[in-house]
Amino acid sequence: MSTENKLARKKRMNQKIAFGIFTAISYSIVALLFVILAFIVIKGIGVISWEFITAMPSNGMTEGGIFPAIVGTLCLVFASMIFAFPVGVFAAIYMNEYVKDGWIKKIIKQMTNNLAGVPSIVFGLFGMSLFVNKLGFGDSILAGGLTLGLLVLPVVIRTTEESLKAVDSTFRQASLGLGASKWQTTSKVVLPIAFPNIITGLILSIGRVSGETAPILFTVAAYFLPKLPSSIFDQAMALPYHLYVIATSGTNIEKSRAMAYGTALILIIIVLISNLLANALRKYFGKKVKMN
Amino acid sequence: MASHFEIELDKLKNVIVKIGNLAESQLSEAVKALLSEPMAEKKEVKRTEEKIDKLDVKIDEICQTIFALQQPVASDLRFIMASMQISNEIERIGDLAISVIKNSKNIKDKHDLIVKFNVAELAKQVEEITLKMNQCFLDRSETTIGEIFVLNNSIKKGTDDTIHNLMNEMKSNSKAVVSGMNLVMVLKHLERISEHCTNIAEHVHFMIKAKIIKHEKFDDKQ
Amino acid sequence: MHKIESRNVNFFYGENQALYDISLSMKENTVTALIGPSGCGKSTYLRLLNRMNDLIDNTRMEGNILIDQNDIYEKSTNVDDLRKNVGMVFQKPNPFPKSIFENVAYGLRVNGIDDKHVIEERVITSIEQVALWDEVKDKLKKSAFELSGGQQQRLCIARALAIQPSVLLMDEPTSALDPISTSKIEELIHELKNQYTIVIVTHNMQQAARVSDNTAFFYMGKLIECDKTKTIFTKPAIQQTEDYITGRFG
Repeated sequence: MSTENKLARKKRMNQKIAFGIFTAISYSIVALLFVILAFIVIKGIGVISWEFITAMPSNGMTEGGIFPAIVGTLCLVFASMIFAFPVGVFAAIYMNEYVKDGWIKKIIKQMTNNLAGVPSIVFGLFGMSLFVNKLGFGDSILAGGLTLGLLVLPVVIRTTEESLKAVDSTFRQASLGLGASKWQTTSKVVLPIAFPNIITGLILSIGRVSGETAPILFTVAAYFLPKLPSSIFDQAMALPYHLYVIATSGTNIEKSRAMAYGTALILIIIVLISNLLANALRKYFGKKVKMN
Repeated sequence: MASHFEIELDKLKNVIVKIGNLAESQLSEAVKALLSEPMAEKKEVKRTEEKIDKLDVKIDEICQTIFALQQPVASDLRFIMASMQISNEIERIGDLAISVIKNSKNIKDKHDLIVKFNVAELAKQVEEITLKMNQCFLDRSETTIGEIFVLNNSIKKGTDDTIHNLMNEMKSNSKAVVSGMNLVMVLKHLERISEHCTNIAEHVHFMIKAKIIKHEKFDDKQ
Repeated sequence: MHKIESRNVNFFYGENQALYDISLSMKENTVTALIGPSGCGKSTYLRLLNRMNDLIDNTRMEGNILIDQNDIYEKSTNVDDLRKNVGMVFQKPNPFPKSIFENVAYGLRVNGIDDKHVIEERVITSIEQVALWDEVKDKLKKSAFELSGGQQQRLCIARALAIQPSVLLMDEPTSALDPISTSKIEELIHELKNQYTIVIVTHNMQQAARVSDNTAFFYMGKLIECDKTKTIFTKPAIQQTEDYITGRFG
């Protein structure tokens, strides 16, 4: 009798300890996130104003706003996603729905994973060589967008592939069983079901692209531009680079320190907004294909 | 809309009604033969006997098929079980009717014996119990079943008494022996027919009440 | 002439042989049940009839399968057309995440029918055929997932019927359903048999007995016996069949 009690008590003890550790870790992660956010918010909130967001930088970038950097970042996000999203999704569709299992598929998969591991600065260098120099686009949104697109391509491919895999094969079978072709099945049945999860991949990619600094160093980012970019062949300012510039090599670092934090805060807010937007999109599409 | 299975059960019911009616008409011919009334041709009677036998086999087949393919349970199961047994009893009734006809031919002084011992009354009772037997299968009424038991008792008593009297008659009148013996056999057949009808009533009772009352004494049945 | 005929069919998953020398014929407008223990090859065989096994890599089919006297494995066979003629219903109800109407219309749309009136007419007819109309007529635009399991399965049958196949393959169609839904679908099969040739795989022997005209018993990839259902369940010719049916093994 007492041995059983002892065993039971030991079990409960271990359970408590394990759960306690997990809980502590989870809370500390959340706490860490809050600390970082709080830090940025506290340091940067003072600078945030309508002027900050909409005005051009002035006086050696110690005053004014960061409007061009915001515009630049948004343009780059847009440009990179226009490239990466369709290419990535179709590549994933091809890999998941069309390629037969075999060594070719294995190789492609491995390559995609390897691509995901390439350091972002290497992408920057590559982008500079190919887009800026070889193809002659020069430092431009086009070059920067393509480079960032390449960077984020493996992410899009991977998440899309996972989303497609998650679609129960029974739906494909039902569609094919009705005489539909593979493409009809993919476009009319599989993609609609996988779409919410594909959007999640989109979220991740946007977040990644917004904050990448190294690739844009070589391909698009300008220290300072008096005007907003008017075409994709123009250079642009970008938030991450701007942050770096203000914090390290500006004309008066101390004075513009607060603006650096403000920039960081704006960057985080942009990522947050895009997350929320994509989440809303996901919910909307998710409702349409609500699973039982 | 009736399901596939219900349609099969209905078919079975109709076949049993059919065989029951054939037995009833066969008995009616037998009574006519006994009472020297004009009856149907020999061919007719033979044909009816064949039909009864065929239907009995058919009912067995139908029941076997339903058991194998439909897995009947509860009241359906009881219905199928009862149907097989009822069919057998009815077939016996048919055979007994034929026997009555055969024996009736050998009763010479029919008129005298039959009138003297009031056989007609008994024969009518047996016809009545057969009618009720068919009825109780259709209406499944406990009242009808009860009536059958009562009637059977009456018939049994009647045949016992008549046979007793016939025995005495044959003892005193040796000329009446051949006819008398045949008449005794006819009465025995009629009694058996009545018993079969009672058995059928028991099967119907099982069907509706799921209680097996075979082999119970009469008073308990009440 | 038989509607479906298989001659000496052997089937391989890679190196493993799953079906051995299957020769089986089915007449038009009959229901044939394929029974046997798990893994005996009955589902594999069923999926040969509409070439669904083509979707699995590294498989090989030997022998001939003819539907309406045409070899369906001939190079010139259009698989999409074959599947239009040979419909399939799966074990777990799998309506698309679309509206009830669109589910049934799907087959029509992917096969090039886009006349609104034709589509509407066929959808309504099919839903009526499966005795589902009264239950869904007011909610055709609602998601198919709002239906119960039994209703979803009947919807899937309607979806298959909408493109007017002549053969209907059913792979354990009621194994995921409750008894009442099951009996509704069994009743449906009785009615559909007048218009279609049906092949049904079932691991429930009693269902095979209730529903089919002919039964084929598979064991370890071989066809042990095929005969009228009544015969199989009252006096099977082969001892193995009897042992399986009486539950002595398998």
